[in-house]
Amino acid sequence: MYSAKIDEALGKAGAAPGDRISVTKEGERTEGILMPRSSLGDRDCLVVKLNNGYNVGMDFANAKVELVSKAKPAAHKAGGEVAMEKGLPNISILGCGGTIASKVDYKIGAVFPATSPDELLASFPGLKGIANFKAKVLFTLLSGDMAPAHWQVIAKEVAKEIEAGADGVILMHGTDTMGYTAAALSFMLKDLPVPVVMVGAQRSSDRGSSDNSMNLVCAAIAAKSDIAEVMVCMHGSTNDDYCLLHPGTKVRKLHASRRDAFKSVNAKPFAKVDYAAKKLELLRNDFRKKDKKRKLALDEKMNANVGLIYVHPGMKPEFVKKLGEVYEGIVLAGTGLGHIPTNPHGDKLAKPVIDAVKELIAKGIPVAMAPQTLYGRVNMNVYAYGIAGKEAGVIGDYCDWLPETAMVKLMWVLGHTKEMKRVKEEMERNVAGEISDRSVLLE
Amino acid sequence: MKCGIEIHQRLDSLKLFCRCPSVIHEDKGQGEVVRRLHPVASELGEVDIAAQFEYLKGKEYHYHTYDESTCLMETDEEPPHPLNNNALAIALEIALMLNSKPVDELQIMRKTVVDGSNTSGFQRTSLLARGGFVETSKGKVGIQGICLEEESSGIVSGEEAGKVYYKLDRLGIPLVEIATAPDMVDAEHVKETAEKIGAILRATGKVLRGIGTIRQDVNVSVEGGARVEIKGAQELAALPKIVEAEVKRQEKLIAIREELKERKAKLGDAKLVDVSGIFSKTQAKIVRKTLDGGGAVVAVKLNGYAGILGTELYPNRRFGTEMSDYAKSAASVGGVIHSDEDLKKYSFSDEETSAVKKKLGVSESDAFVMVAAKKDIAERALIAAFARAKDATGNLHEEVRKVLPDGVSTAYMRPMPGAARLYPETDIAPVRITKEMIAEARKKLPEMPEVKLAKLKKTLSEELAEKMMKSRNLQLFEKLVGMGIEPSLAATTLEETVVSLRREGVAVEDIREEKIVELFGEFAKGGFAKAAVPEVLKLLAKKPKAKVSALVAEGGLAKLSGKELEAAVEKELASVPDKKKAVGAVMAKLRLRADPEEVIGIIRKKA
Ligand SMILES: [Zn+2]
Repeated sequence: MYSAKIDEALGKAGAAPGDRISVTKEGERTEGILMPRSSLGDRDCLVVKLNNGYNVGMDFANAKVELVSKAKPAAHKAGGEVAMEKGLPNISILGCGGTIASKVDYKIGAVFPATSPDELLASFPGLKGIANFKAKVLFTLLSGDMAPAHWQVIAKEVAKEIEAGADGVILMHGTDTMGYTAAALSFMLKDLPVPVVMVGAQRSSDRGSSDNSMNLVCAAIAAKSDIAEVMVCMHGSTNDDYCLLHPGTKVRKLHASRRDAFKSVNAKPFAKVDYAAKKLELLRNDFRKKDKKRKLALDEKMNANVGLIYVHPGMKPEFVKKLGEVYEGIVLAGTGLGHIPTNPHGDKLAKPVIDAVKELIAKGIPVAMAPQTLYGRVNMNVYAYGIAGKEAGVIGDYCDWLPETAMVKLMWVLGHTKEMKRVKEEMERNVAGEISDRSVLLE
Repeated sequence: MKCGIEIHQRLDSLKLFCRCPSVIHEDKGQGEVVRRLHPVASELGEVDIAAQFEYLKGKEYHYHTYDESTCLMETDEEPPHPLNNNALAIALEIALMLNSKPVDELQIMRKTVVDGSNTSGFQRTSLLARGGFVETSKGKVGIQGICLEEESSGIVSGEEAGKVYYKLDRLGIPLVEIATAPDMVDAEHVKETAEKIGAILRATGKVLRGIGTIRQDVNVSVEGGARVEIKGAQELAALPKIVEAEVKRQEKLIAIREELKERKAKLGDAKLVDVSGIFSKTQAKIVRKTLDGGGAVVAVKLNGYAGILGTELYPNRRFGTEMSDYAKSAASVGGVIHSDEDLKKYSFSDEETSAVKKKLGVSESDAFVMVAAKKDIAERALIAAFARAKDATGNLHEEVRKVLPDGVSTAYMRPMPGAARLYPETDIAPVRITKEMIAEARKKLPEMPEVKLAKLKKTLSEELAEKMMKSRNLQLFEKLVGMGIEPSLAATTLEETVVSLRREGVAVEDIREEKIVELFGEFAKGGFAKAAVPEVLKLLAKKPKAKVSALVAEGGLAKLSGKELEAAVEKELASVPDKKKAVGAVMAKLRLRADPEEVIGIIRKKA
């Protein structure tokens, strides 16, 4: 956004971003293409792309702007169909936002989503020969803006594709909340007959180093595999060597920017996909095998009024009480084995919140516990404050779930029942791999 | 002839977009990251993703990482940190010294690079200042622009089996790029201008020194030729020769064009013919290996081109070599084989050669080119070679070339990049360059080299002053003088002693700059005598990491003074019968351990 002053001058000159303009300042005339003002930087500086390709910011004070020529409208290529190859499986790709499949207008640096199969194949030649692809864009938003209502739309669209005979479904998704969506779909898509693979990119698609094409190619290999589960396919290491297929309820983004940000927590990934060899290597065998005859049961009911709260020293009981005015269910990411401040020793400085939690539960608001350590299992039997939580009716003893997964599950469970006893039963019963019986040894 | 230069100079500061130190290492580091590149809009602006995909397929870039000087930024695992303000301040000083006008707001751009030298797939660069000039003996040379950008990774070795190795320590070091107008009038003028700009850069005292820290590219075009950018000139002295060679190359290409016009030779579409069958029993090793590996030999006829491919552009580099370079850059092939070469050197039999000629319909006046590789690769390479041959009848190519190991001749690298490869770096906020920043830079401006030279001449001999002014050690010299070291001692040590020690085979290159500073610090404290400086340097070259004081003690070079020296002098005097020769005789014994003035003083006192 330019300042009002610049906007006015541009309006008078009849110039818009993309047009060729001249700027005369202190007797010197500069010609170039008017660029849009990014949200960063000085709004009183006009940004012009010079003939050598460089952009420069020019202070607008004492500058005169004239239009040289209007921009030629960019020729838009209509999306076309791609011929089907016989003998290849059919995979549906659904675009749920994120930058994995975006195109860049190199002139102004703006990013647009790729919207058709031919655009997709043109951008990712590596997909050729792996399967026949069908593509559809559901939303164009950054995953940080994704809400539970989006998960329901995605689940319904995936079900449609599967009913139409897809051998696998790929979801292109922003990475910020990919783990949440993966968990939601794991609960909503019961008895999956085919693989549902979520994939994203940690590096934007404009650069040669983007991880998008490797992740997508590996996702395509996963989507035609035998693993009929909801999974996340992302880089397994910082190298461009292999991707890992993480279980949808056990996967978490554990780094803000690295390619291998996604890890399976308290579980092993299903498989490893070698990019160069285009080969899938199983790391587990306890997954639902692909069976196109199995009938998918779509169950997308949700109650989005669930909050996920981090337990921390100094946590205020008043805050915990207030949660009851906003939410119908709470997940606490507790310290250690799943603890909240209870002050069993009557310390003078400690401020317990256990009574506030008891109050919530008494009001009929279920409170579930998950470990903020991410790794490990809730155990409310070892320390006094654990026992106090358990006695208060906190849900989740012995659960090795991720806080986010527990939150998504509580939304899903509350979409079906509000009866406290049933909520507790359903929550503590493994539905989609979110709770395991054994804490497996991981390196 | 029109000629301009581009000077790239590394700045002495932390890296441009992370806070790693700009330290280069000799070893292979502590880790390795392996990446591939994916097709993006090409440097020409046109996006031929399919072709790029084929080219990049299977290529691996291996990057050595260094705990000391690489972080997640260099490995392309983290968005950039804000621009390093200190580097910006240095670059501003340089711009002002070159009379260039800083922009109001710095816009960081991404310049697409697909050779793996940047882990991100682009180089971050920004236009800092426009216009300006530098004075030379042949008039003012204009400055077109000054960019502040990040340095690329250093290549360790060329491509081998699809793998390219780079070192990441160099990536991200701040670099200024100074582009002059094509104002240079002859090859010598190019060298002078580069020297002038180099001296200005060194005068700031804030640029990195040592091998590779400054690079100069040249742009050359002759009347009727094309603008060609030459990268990788190792030293200034080579510039005139490179320029002359390029002028000759362009003239030769023009002559080839005229010759082809004369012959009325014109190529139509490339008709590629698979001639693998002819070589089923061949003795030629390369072809044998290719065919055994399931590859093919593909050939194409060049109508009326006999003798053209053998025309020498440089000693040992013919037009055919040029075609080969194009083939190599289009596909992973070793090169091409053509009819103007001595085909016996590949061990082709006469029968094979004539069979190829027959199959292609090559007559006396025609030429042919062959490539042996996987069939699709061979075809792509051959099409590129053919296109280069075809273009010989038209305008000369605008292109980027690299200097070959002989230091003079060049080879095709890539087409001249267009403006389209630059697009905004959206992860970094633009930087407003305020009046205050410019005023601050102006306050810090160092003396212009001419002024500095005049001052040097006051404390050093004319010759040594000139030497010092051009020397990479100028900054170090100034630092030593700042420590109170006598200018002539500092200059002689850096410019003469070190050089003669190297000639004697002493590994002085292993001595790091901070050790020289430590050495003079020790000297200033009175740790050893002036005459012992070369001896200490020798010891240091053997143990570059040892403490100087320890080496001095170990080598028995600790300076004698006071009572100790008096005792030593007395002892020596006792064995000198002729008192007139006393000073000489004593100094001969104690030369390395005592200052002559002190010895003379003691002897006088005794007398
Ligand atoms: Zn760094």
